[in-house]
Parts: sequence; C-alpha cells; structure tokens
Amino acid sequence: MSIARIVLGGEGGQGVQTIAEILAEAAYRSGLEALYIPNFGVEQRGGVSLAFVQLGDEVVAVPKFRRAQVVVALSDRAIQRTADYVTRETTFIYEASAAVDPSFLPREAGRLLPVPAVKLATEHLHPRVFNVLILGTVVGVVDMVEETALKAALEGLLGHKFALKPELRELNYRALGEGRELALTA
Amino acid sequence: MTAVIERERRAFLTGNEVVAWAALAAGAEVMFGYPITPQNEIMHYWARLAPRYGRKFLQTEDELSAGYATIGAVLGGVKAFTATAGPGHVLMQEALAMAEMMRLPVVAIITQRGGPSTATVIYSQQEVNLACFGGNGEGFRLVYSVAGLQDLYEYTLKAFGMAWRYRLPTIVLGDGYQAKMRGPVKLFDPARQGIDTGMAAPFLGAAGTPGRERPPVHLRNTYNLEEELLAVVEEQARSFEQVAEQVAEYEEEKREGAAILLVAHGIVARAAQLAAGRLRRRGKAVGFFRPVTLRPFPETALRRAAFEAEMVLVAESAWGQLERLVRASLSGSEVPVQAYRRPGMGITPEELEEELEKILAARKSSGWSRGDEVAARAADATGLAP
Repeated sequence: MSIARIVLGGEGGQGVQTIAEILAEAAYRSGLEALYIPNFGVEQRGGVSLAFVQLGDEVVAVPKFRRAQVVVALSDRAIQRTADYVTRETTFIYEASAAVDPSFLPREAGRLLPVPAVKLATEHLHPRVFNVLILGTVVGVVDMVEETALKAALEGLLGHKFALKPELRELNYRALGEGRELALTA
Repeated sequence: MTAVIERERRAFLTGNEVVAWAALAAGAEVMFGYPITPQNEIMHYWARLAPRYGRKFLQTEDELSAGYATIGAVLGGVKAFTATAGPGHVLMQEALAMAEMMRLPVVAIITQRGGPSTATVIYSQQEVNLACFGGNGEGFRLVYSVAGLQDLYEYTLKAFGMAWRYRLPTIVLGDGYQAKMRGPVKLFDPARQGIDTGMAAPFLGAAGTPGRERPPVHLRNTYNLEEELLAVVEEQARSFEQVAEQVAEYEEEKREGAAILLVAHGIVARAAQLAAGRLRRRGKAVGFFRPVTLRPFPETALRRAAFEAEMVLVAESAWGQLERLVRASLSGSEVPVQAYRRPGMGITPEELEEELEKILAARKSSGWSRGDEVAARAADATGLAP
C-alpha cells in the first residue's frame, strides 16, 4: 500500500466537498493517513468545485498532486476540469444519468465507470443522497476504508440531521450500499 | 489559567481549526478580526470556542481596526491576536507598522491567497514581501513560514512566546492550502512541552507615579526631529540584529558536494523536501534548505549550505519573493541562482523532480561537473548504473 490519490469535481452545491470530507474522515478513523483539501473560486453559487483527497499508510505532506488513481466528475464541466489528473491507472467515475458526450471522456483512463447516481437516487432512494451514493462507489473502488469508520464519519457530519429524522440514516446507508455495489459490478 | 488541552491527543482538523486551538492553548485572551477567505474559519472556530474558555472575540469594521484593536489590547497587557489574508493583509500592515514602531507583541496569522488585489481565494506565497517588509519601516518583525498542520500548531504557540519575549510583532505566515486542508495533527499542552507562550503584562497604567516611583512609559509612533527618529530606529536595528542571531530558524538536508541546493519555504518546502529526497535516492546530489523564519532570514546558514553547492534553485508559489531574500543572502558569492516560479499555484514534488532532472541533464551536457562525480560515486556504491 502507499497513497491513494482522489480528485472529485462537480458543480457547486452537488456535494463534492461533503463526499471528500466524509471520505477523509473515514480514512482517518480507519487508522490511515489522510489529507483533504477543497478548491474553489470566489463564486457563492455555481462554478466547478474540486476536492483533493489522499489516503494511505504514508504521511501525506503535500496537499495537491498531478495524477490521481481515482477521478470523480459529476458534471460535463467537471469532466473537463479533472481530465488532467487522469492516467492509464486511473478509474474515472462519472455521473451518467443523462447522456454524456463520449468525446468529453478521457480516453486514456484505465477504467471508465459510469454511475447513474442521480437516476438511481431519485428512483430508489431520495435525490438528496445522490452524493452519498457516489461516495459508496468511490469507497468501493479505493477499498481501504473500514465500514464502521465510514458510518462513524457519516454520523459525524450528518448526525444532527439524523437526530431530527432517524430514517435519513438508513437512507444514507442504503445509498452507500448501492454505490459500492456499482463499483464492484460495473 | 487551566490547560485547554490537558492530555496530548491526535485530531483530524483543518489548519484554521488548528490555529484556533493553538491560540487557545497559548492563552490568547482575545481575537480581533474581519472576515476574509481563506482566514474566515479561524474567526469562526475561535468565536465558537472562546466563550467556553472565558476568552473574547470582536469582529471589527475592517482590518485596520482589527490591527489597531489588537494593539490596544496588547498595550493593556492582554494577550491578543488577529488573522487576515490578501487585501486584508495589505490594510493590516498599517497597524503592524505601528506595532513595529512601538515594539508591541502583536500576533497575526496570515493565510496567503492569490494576488495582486482580490485575485484568488485559494492559495499563494505572494505575501512574503508584505509579511516581511510591508510597513513603512524596516521590517523589524518576526515571520515564521509554516509547512503543514503540525507546524501551524507549534509555531502559533511559539509566536506568542517570541512576540512577548522580544516585544516584536510576530507573523505566522501560512497559506490557503494550509488553512483549508484537513489532516491529522497532535495537540498538546505547551506548558508540558516546555514551550513558552509568553507572559503578558500591561505596557501602560502600571502602579506608581511616573518619573518618581517608576520610569515613565513613553511609547511613541510620532517624532518631531530627524535626529530623534534616527536614534530610535538605530537602536531598534541593533536590537533586531541581536535577536536575529537567536531566533533565525531553518531546516536542511545536506548532500556532500551537492550539485543543486533546492530552497523553498512554507508548504512548498514539503514538496521540495520530497523531490530532493527522491533524487538523492537515485544517486543525484541534491540538497534541501527551508528557511523557517523569513524575517529574520537565516542568512548565515543558507550561505554555508549554498557555498557547498554548485547552484541554487529557488522554488516558490510567487514571482521571486523568496528568491529576492535568497539572492540578498548570497550577495558577493558566485553561486548561480535559478528560480522555479509559480505565482498562486501549488507545487508538487513531481514537477520539482522534473525541473531538477532537467537542470542536471543540461549541466551534464555542458561538460560539468563536481556533482555528477559525487552522483557517480554514490551510484557505484549502491551498485546501480549512474
């Protein structure tokens, strides 16, 4: 094992930073080294939001990197913004509920993993857990984070919402599960 | 005051949270600030945590006011601090110059963002000039350039100690990356580690009649005569030079007969350290030097390291701000200085490795040199082809 590097990109408000924060926290709680840094412009709303997460068994000293093992793009613009991080070893996860112009996709990616997260979340769960479904896919691909740690991290960030509406907890767990399954079967 | 952090513990925090915890642990009693990204969360966390520990917070109308309010608190013997970035840092320099003139232990945390002007809210190393020499004066202040979350914790603690011990405005120079990044950090009680976080005492309003029972305190930032001012600044300069010898800090990884000495500060130093280490493992003669204090600059140590090298490469997320300090330190020497300048951009170990390899290859093809012989010897010893 060394360091897994993950870039996530999406439109502001899609929940990219939430995915990254839970992922990093879960890695830390799994006893791994982890470093997460958000990256966005001056927009209050809209614009592409990026997140950089590194996790592994080595100390992570530098917050940014050039190549990622996993790239997640949740919009057309995010596909373009994250393309530079893709190599032949990269698993490229992208939102595929609507048709994506194949010419946008990074041809050099080792593995293209379309995830119709919006569609699945809307049909089976709730549109709001779309980003947690994506998180499940990322965790499935990276395969370094412990399940209990992941749930604890989720609790840490969303616990106050679960307290008001306990059924949200189960909904989020199911979203994680569906996402993870996609990583294994797609 | 009871310890904020009684038992050493590991936590997963952002840099801005780390600063708030460090200021609490250092016994800071009040923060004055005005919102600006990427510094905001220092204020947010401090404002949230402070009441639990009987500390205070005031949001002022701008950064000028935040700086002067900090000065006011310090004059009254209150351990105070402020934090800002970018255009806010520009405004705060006015108050910092006053702190410099009156020799007041004002502590400021700076999270550098892109510049000039509003530019980006993300990251840069473009506030080095400003932090070191931003006032209308001589730059008699301490500037610690931190390189990671643990550094941020420890140097924020230390900043209070140094500021109050030497009566100098003290800046902890971070950046937007370090402010926003979340990672593991070890929090501890500074007293148990023997870290001095400063004893605050009032500069004004001590007991007794001034001039009779005690010497008068006359802190001035206004002078009528040229001669008067000259005497004061000369005295400050002498004092700063003495302090400089005691407080200048650096980190280095030597390489005998280094072909290249790679110099970087702040978070870029971490990329530089990794790049230099990887090249050394490939038998290349690359040394690493990180000034921790940018003011005073560790000139003697840098000169010593640079004179053992064939050339110096300065890497920074700015257009020559560190490079200027390096060149000034090396003036009179013939060691060539090259620069890798990426204003407002993060720098990765991989791009520095490529840059170093390129320079080594170019020097080799031009029929050089000592460093290559060292590299070849090292490669022989490890049984690897050079």
